[in-house]
Amino acid sequence: MGYVKTVVEKNLVRDSLVLMKISEDLKKIPGVEEALVAMGTETNKKLAMDLGVFTPDVEKASEGDLFIAIRASSQEALEKAIAAAREMLSKPAGAGEAEFYDVDMALAALPDANLALISVPGEYAKEVAMKFLERGIHVHVFSDHVPKEDEVEMKKYAFERGLLVLGPGAGTSIINGVAIAFANAVRRGPIGIVASAGTGLQEVSSLIHNLGSGVSQGLGVGGGDVKNYVGGLMMKLGLKLLDRDEETKVLTIVAKPPEKETLESILQYVEKETRKPIVFGFMGKFTLSLPKGLVGRASAARSLHATALEAVRLVDEELYERGKEKLTIQYEKLLSMLQPYWEELSPKQKYIRGLFTGGTLTSEALTLLDELKIELYSNAPLPGQKQLPDPFRSVGNTIVDLGEEEFTAGRAHPMIDPTIRRLRLIEEAKDPEVAVVLMDFVLGYGSHVDPVGAHLPAIKEAQKIAEADGRKLVIIGYVLGVSGDPQGYESQIEKLRSVGAIVPPTNAVGVLSAAVVASRGQISRDIVDKFYKEYFEAYIKAR
Amino acid sequence: MVEPRKLFNTEVKVVNVGLRIFYEDLKKQGVKVVHVNYQPRPKLEKELESKLSELL
Repeated sequence: MGYVKTVVEKNLVRDSLVLMKISEDLKKIPGVEEALVAMGTETNKKLAMDLGVFTPDVEKASEGDLFIAIRASSQEALEKAIAAAREMLSKPAGAGEAEFYDVDMALAALPDANLALISVPGEYAKEVAMKFLERGIHVHVFSDHVPKEDEVEMKKYAFERGLLVLGPGAGTSIINGVAIAFANAVRRGPIGIVASAGTGLQEVSSLIHNLGSGVSQGLGVGGGDVKNYVGGLMMKLGLKLLDRDEETKVLTIVAKPPEKETLESILQYVEKETRKPIVFGFMGKFTLSLPKGLVGRASAARSLHATALEAVRLVDEELYERGKEKLTIQYEKLLSMLQPYWEELSPKQKYIRGLFTGGTLTSEALTLLDELKIELYSNAPLPGQKQLPDPFRSVGNTIVDLGEEEFTAGRAHPMIDPTIRRLRLIEEAKDPEVAVVLMDFVLGYGSHVDPVGAHLPAIKEAQKIAEADGRKLVIIGYVLGVSGDPQGYESQIEKLRSVGAIVPPTNAVGVLSAAVVASRGQISRDIVDKFYKEYFEAYIKAR
Repeated sequence: MVEPRKLFNTEVKVVNVGLRIFYEDLKKQGVKVVHVNYQPRPKLEKELESKLSELL
């Protein structure tokens, strides 16, 4: 096991991204087998245990303490790594680059700024955002945990003045083709999107790009916006601005179904304030009843897959027809593609394990598997689905959202830091009843530089574990991205294929494929037909 | 009342406050961006400030 040494730095706080980078750099030192530099949260202590670098000192560390934990093949390497960690921690990030310590000074350097991207701790977000709003500058608030009353105050102020408050808790926006926070290099085009679901916006905008169309603007308004305490203020303003925007030909919403009162007021607003065709992409088991004035102008869809296709249909029928073939793989074709995979499974292998990093991709998976009558557990279950007793351990069919709080306390998001998912994948491979592991790889700005590459050694190890036990593990890897993304869309897909993984064209097709493989193609035809009709195309279609 | 600045179909110019990774990603895209290394004011100072504003 080598030598282990840990050091606790009391009351030292560093950003999780900085710590991840330091941990990665330490692992490159010859002789170092494992390195974890992290804040003393429960998540990180558990991780230290899994990595074999846990000590009583680490156990005692509090959430405000930082620990350095190293495992190395020699005492010398151990000491070298500890010294290197201390040195890296003493350097401020980005030293030498011009930066400001104050909003006013920054604005003096860029006086005609028109957008602020704010990612400060939630309790301070309003204070910072108001400084920009008061000057007529739009804001994108990435921060989580912003108090509800702060969100309402910012949004009321902004709404009255025609200013956008994107977020809080918005991971993604696309402004004039520029990726803000986590977003993809999507082509500009005629479809304007307002989304309360971050990865949902990434999936829909990327699919629109891959279908050959493009996005005028993608506005992430945050999950709170469609709840009654906000009442859809920014969804409304976003739609109105897009309706007035000459580049935008079709409006598209990507969101969880809003609370009743908010839904009604959004529908009224859309009817009165907008004129363009619109797709209501309210995700999940939800049926929209359109007010009379929107019949014929509005479409409605239940999945990200169907929302993207419908938006493209409304701008270009021909692109839609071509794209439909590519995206919505016909069921008979899907069966024949997947049969070789399920034929290699041993009789005991029957479960699906979904290890997701994207929140909206997780909830789409939960909805779709429910529709396919598959019983499952999750750490973020839909009503009627079972709560996973321990989020760190799968049972039966399990779909886990690794972006949830229990996995991210004091750690970078799994779209950036693959450590937790790599370990989980190995655990899944040890379970002889697992047939399929389903994973998402989200590309774009903000994400890991090579998410598939970072998982390849773990995927290979998982396959080896299964093979040593006389099994074959089916891996389905969905790559969310477009060819201009910094990670290289094609090369990420190629890497997955090189280890025998199935790479579906959309998240929804990946989920269906997992169900087909695990059931050996035995899903009843009625269920399949209904699924295709309700989730692979819009259920209300504008003329 | 201050007019909202034009955002759509013009050059995006960004002030990034908080995580440095977003500043770097914007720079990679060729966007004009400045970075604010934000440090929250200490808690005590905030409490004192609200006490002071009550008094004054």
